[in-house]
Amino acid sequence: MRQMEKAVFVKLRHRVQVKPDDVILVGDVAQIIASDKQMLQQLKRIPLYRIQRSDKNIVIVDVMKVVDAIVRFDPSLEIQTIGSAQTIVEVVYPKRTISFAYFLAVWLLLFIGSAIAIINFHEDVSMQETHQHLYTIITGKKADKPLLFQIPYSIGLGLGMIIFFNHVFRKRINEEPSPLEVEMFNYQQSLDQYVILHENKESMKQIDDR
Amino acid sequence: MTTVKAIAVIVIGLAGGLAVGTGFVAFLAVLGVIPRLTQLTKTMKWIYAYEWSAVFGAVTGGWMSLRSSALDISKYWLIPLGLFSGVFIGMLAAALTEVLNVWPILAKRIGMVDKIILLMMALVFGKVFGSLFYWMYFAEVMSL
Repeated sequence: MRQMEKAVFVKLRHRVQVKPDDVILVGDVAQIIASDKQMLQQLKRIPLYRIQRSDKNIVIVDVMKVVDAIVRFDPSLEIQTIGSAQTIVEVVYPKRTISFAYFLAVWLLLFIGSAIAIINFHEDVSMQETHQHLYTIITGKKADKPLLFQIPYSIGLGLGMIIFFNHVFRKRINEEPSPLEVEMFNYQQSLDQYVILHENKESMKQIDDR
Repeated sequence: MTTVKAIAVIVIGLAGGLAVGTGFVAFLAVLGVIPRLTQLTKTMKWIYAYEWSAVFGAVTGGWMSLRSSALDISKYWLIPLGLFSGVFIGMLAAALTEVLNVWPILAKRIGMVDKIILLMMALVFGKVFGSLFYWMYFAEVMSL
């Protein structure tokens, strides 16, 4: 019974956003369960780390650091950690607003780029000949510019891309994410994995040859 | 001798078709267009029918283009055909940007994750515009 009262359960959050010059508290990065409510509040208020300018925008808080802080607070506590071993602390600097011109430039780049890409594709696969041939197959007549086929084709091209990225079928019956969302998630996951290993000074030990 | 020649031609034709057919299926499989369509329409149970439709489509298209056969039907059949083939190519194009991991990197690099839909629209409109431009103007100039 005595043992139970001293147990503290700690689970680190995956990703936390803070402002520059904030002090990270234990309660910011971890969810804590303890039977003593008053002690719980005190534990949550233990400072862990002050964000410095040199940290740039990512700080990794290791679970050992949290355990260390709690043990310092009260060595008799029995700490149980659950879940991931690091929290990614993202320092959010005041957002520099993206100028509209910058956005427009990217938009035009993509627009022109994809227009040229489709022209190249058509040229590459002799699409014109294929369409002329198809016109003959269907109607039995010849046409130099089978626009009757080609205009719906062009509209369908855009439609197909939109369908693939799921912006027509907005009403999702279940909560399946679109491929774009999955792709963004996977990429973020890889980035997180990278910074956890590379920004965390505790995760690697190297020979100090200085 | 002619029998041997005929058999040789058959074997070569079959082998060539086999290579192209497997390549086509592998291409479709990598881009994942069919799974995407079944996911959108919630028709997972008909996935085999979709496979067969791709196979029959490839065979029919191959046969008709090689035989230069003519159906002699109304030219207005070309409108739905054009639309469907456009959607298909559009999905392939979208899937290709997907496989090449264009979006996440682009959005992260330039810090416009919230505007990704607008950027995607740039690609879509670019494709439609480029395609129309090609058919109505570019191809004509090229053929002069």
